[in-house]
Amino acid sequence: MAYLLHVLILVALYSILAISLNLISGYAGLVSLCQAAFYGVGAYTTALLALNLHTPFLLNLLASVILAGTAGLVVALPSLRIRDDYFVMATFAFQVVVYHLLNNLISFTGGPMGLHAIPAPRLFWITLSGHLGFLILTVVLGALIFWVARRIVSSPFGRILFAIREDEVLALARGKNVNQAKVLVFMIGAAMAAVAGSLYASYITYIDPTSFTVLESILIISIVIIGGAGNLWGSVLGALILIVVPELLRFVGMPGAIAGNLRQGFYGLLLILFVIWRPQGLLGDYSFQKVKAGK
Amino acid sequence: MQQLVANGVLAAAIYVMVATGFALIYATSRFLHFAHAVVFTAGAYFALFLATRIGLPLAFSVLLALVLSAVLGCLAELVVYRPLRRRGSSPLVLLLSALGIYIVLQNGISMLFGDDLKIIPGLDSGPSFTIGLARVTPVQIVTIATGALCVVATAIVLKTTRVGKMMRAVASDSELAEISGVRAGSVILASFAVGSVLAGLAGVLVALDTAMTPDMGLNVFLMAAAAMILGGVESIPGIALGALLVGLTQHFGVWLLGSQWQDAIAFTILLIALAVRPQGLLGKRAVRATA
Repeated sequence: MAYLLHVLILVALYSILAISLNLISGYAGLVSLCQAAFYGVGAYTTALLALNLHTPFLLNLLASVILAGTAGLVVALPSLRIRDDYFVMATFAFQVVVYHLLNNLISFTGGPMGLHAIPAPRLFWITLSGHLGFLILTVVLGALIFWVARRIVSSPFGRILFAIREDEVLALARGKNVNQAKVLVFMIGAAMAAVAGSLYASYITYIDPTSFTVLESILIISIVIIGGAGNLWGSVLGALILIVVPELLRFVGMPGAIAGNLRQGFYGLLLILFVIWRPQGLLGDYSFQKVKAGK
Repeated sequence: MQQLVANGVLAAAIYVMVATGFALIYATSRFLHFAHAVVFTAGAYFALFLATRIGLPLAFSVLLALVLSAVLGCLAELVVYRPLRRRGSSPLVLLLSALGIYIVLQNGISMLFGDDLKIIPGLDSGPSFTIGLARVTPVQIVTIATGALCVVATAIVLKTTRVGKMMRAVASDSELAEISGVRAGSVILASFAVGSVLAGLAGVLVALDTAMTPDMGLNVFLMAAAAMILGGVESIPGIALGALLVGLTQHFGVWLLGSQWQDAIAFTILLIALAVRPQGLLGKRAVRATA
């Protein structure tokens, strides 16, 4: 039972991560490989505050969100000058820099040893420690993020995001503030990823930099693509498939030593197959193609 | 100090080999072939496999490893990229598929060979030379010489030979090249073959100098990409300059801040370069994928 709850918590966490990246990559069309960096910023902020200042969970969560949002601003700025594959490189570089900061600021982040004994979240007078309580907290926050994301994509601001994705020049020509929208969606996406990070740190109680590598970022974008870019339910479905299927493989008796490689190989293979045969994903409506008039 | 320069130049030689191959592929096919990172790694493991498990002589293993690297690069192009391109997929889609290929192959190598450090035995590193105050091994001298040779050879091939001209034609406008009777598909395939040989060669040289791990390609590839972007995609001398800049900054950064910061320094430079001068130091224009 605890195992099942654990898997469900992971599905909920990755749904949050995928939704956060879906806003950036699926709706605004800005492919980014640094979502795990924001996730890490959230996790470390919460962990450090809880360990050193013993502040309550909601305050840590808020601080994580604000800090990651600011980091999102830093990444978004180059996107105003470069686009598409060069922008992907920039996000990649940012991801690597954040990883090395977490790994090397040893006195601050614990370096490769990570941070231990992160206290369980305390909400007002309740301390959440069991799996079930944590699942409820994650699902509630996940639902909140889903609702916010939904409000965003159905708002006028959301329509500017579509416009950037489909035809940025046209959006500019129609007088839309494209730059502001890009920066804003990046900050929102980063802030949402930090919520997942904050939850993860409090749940696992032990974090180290290996949870926030570029491979993690690639996993998150795989979830977005396989579930369907530009569809919020797609991100939930993608997280469900990419977390649960490898767990099932565990039951058919995979040797432990290669299980990790096999899981990643599975993500990679699924990503290739989807990009070739169903680039819009299971539920999505965007296949990373610019719509060209007259073609 | 001189040791720092020697180490920086050595790193630059590796980066320039990977970057030249990568730039060649990028110039003709217009997308970031991320799996280039794993071709570099595969080159080293091919040599290891041939030399230790099959037992071929070292020189022959290395040569065969280069051929296999070329085959690997071409397979990626033929099996994944070309069908996607036929369907008119955007460079972003190709980039995403390349990420998938990278993950699958890197984990494949991990499963076959394990994650621990591997070295190719049978090569006595020989006496190390002292140039000025820097100590270098024969393998390192070969690496630096090969790096320099690759730059010059690639530049000459692109400028003077028929294949080189066709590559430049496809790079500047593949539709126009196609109209003039150049088969863009074959030219792209050729650039994958040449680029993959360069990456595999760099991988083998690193493995001979130090050791190999399944994830060694990623960092080198990112540094090479940084060198390429810093130098400007269309300029081979620019890429060489970029590689030197990245290699030297990395090692001087190590001297100033400690070895753990070398990657962070290089990528911070890349981020700044992308924000300030995306067309590169010697490049003429920023490369826009969706022109």
